[in-house]
Amino acid sequence: MDESTSITVDALNLLFSGDAELWAIIGVSFQVSSTAIFISVPPALVIAFFLAYADFPGRRLLISVFNTLLAVPAVVIGLTFYLLLSRQGPFGDWRLLFTQSAMIMGQAALCFPILVAMGHAAFQAIDKRAWETARTLGAGPIRAFYTVMKEARFGLLAALFAAFGRIIAEVGASMMLGGNILHYTRNIPTAIALETSKGEFSQGIALGLVLIMLAFALNTSLQYFQGKGHTTN
Amino acid sequence: MNSIYNTHINFSGIDKSFGHNQVLHDSALEIKSGECILLCGKNGSGKTTLLRIIAGLEVPDSGFVNTGLGKYTWNKCRRQLRHSSVYLHQQPYMFDGNVISNLNFSLQQKLSNRQRSERIKSAIAWAGLENIAENSAKTLSGGERQRVAITRAWLRDPEILLLDEPMTNMDHDSRLRTIELLLNLKEQGVALVVSSHDPVHFEALTDTWLQLSEGRLHGFSASDNITPIHYKKHLHELTK
Repeated sequence: MDESTSITVDALNLLFSGDAELWAIIGVSFQVSSTAIFISVPPALVIAFFLAYADFPGRRLLISVFNTLLAVPAVVIGLTFYLLLSRQGPFGDWRLLFTQSAMIMGQAALCFPILVAMGHAAFQAIDKRAWETARTLGAGPIRAFYTVMKEARFGLLAALFAAFGRIIAEVGASMMLGGNILHYTRNIPTAIALETSKGEFSQGIALGLVLIMLAFALNTSLQYFQGKGHTTN
Repeated sequence: MNSIYNTHINFSGIDKSFGHNQVLHDSALEIKSGECILLCGKNGSGKTTLLRIIAGLEVPDSGFVNTGLGKYTWNKCRRQLRHSSVYLHQQPYMFDGNVISNLNFSLQQKLSNRQRSERIKSAIAWAGLENIAENSAKTLSGGERQRVAITRAWLRDPEILLLDEPMTNMDHDSRLRTIELLLNLKEQGVALVVSSHDPVHFEALTDTWLQLSEGRLHGFSASDNITPIHYKKHLHELTK
């Protein structure tokens, strides 16, 4: 058995033997990223909706700002929040640096522009008559918003999966804001970076496999839902 | 469902411009329950804009509404206009799902499942939608869509029904069925405002003809003994 094969076998053993340390890292990743998504989705969708349906001064500028934010690297977001949360920063007194809360803030800032930009595109693809029909049939603004969201659900789901995929795999912001503390802020990408630098490839590969399986599961679900949508249209 | 309405709404001083193009200029209109107004005019003359203003969907530059309780600005009456009217697009929008779920949308949230099911059943029977009730609403033909949209509006129990070019791309049979439903609504006391560039289809329905040209409304009533053919001549003279 050559070295790469034995490393892969070790990685699979770690993954399927229920290695506590490995699964704790996976748990931190999902906890932090799910919370960041959960916090970001409601305001991002409302902004996306207003950008698609309302006409107000500065709308185009705001769309450009969110599209630009898509391209900002995770490490720059990490650096910005690091400066804000470090002892000398304006929010240093909150003592959030190297906590899961700081990681959640960084990941929320990363996924927010994705949710807004892709959400905006999803809402824009829906005929404006959907909103007007809902309103003229007696729906209040909240019910009409919910109705348009239902009409745009496939595009919105794509936005949600893309945003989750982006933050669960990012390393820059998590490393700078979380500090890679075992059982607390060490998540999948920071653990992969650490283990690789130590020459411990088995755990890195096992965690990498988790990310690949997650990406596959998200994409398969999206294809399934979108396919279902097309057959009913 | 056989509600007797007593709607009497006056619109006056309605102005609306898009950029430098003034589509409505000091327009006035009187809507009464059980009456049908046919709104005619060339493409781009402002028919749709006027219907949308009446429905509370489009904001006019200025305008007043008198519902019998006094004359108020359009803005103050917007909520009431939205509450009392239903606007049907030229090609009505159907939500994802089947015809039944689309009809269900119009029903008040507070109704029980049993009440909903009974009302939907009676609506399907009223409009003769039995054969398409389970069909996906997005796949319906133009005529079927219009009938489902009218039925959906009927379930909302509106005082005013605003229809934008309802007969576009419809075959003869679909037209007859649609007219039948609209006549039924009129008998129930619903006020109808229909925009069309071809008045002939609505002869059996219309009480007042309004012509919109160069931003102004010109009116004729059924008591003027004007047939659609005479009316077309009037229109020709007006637009010469």
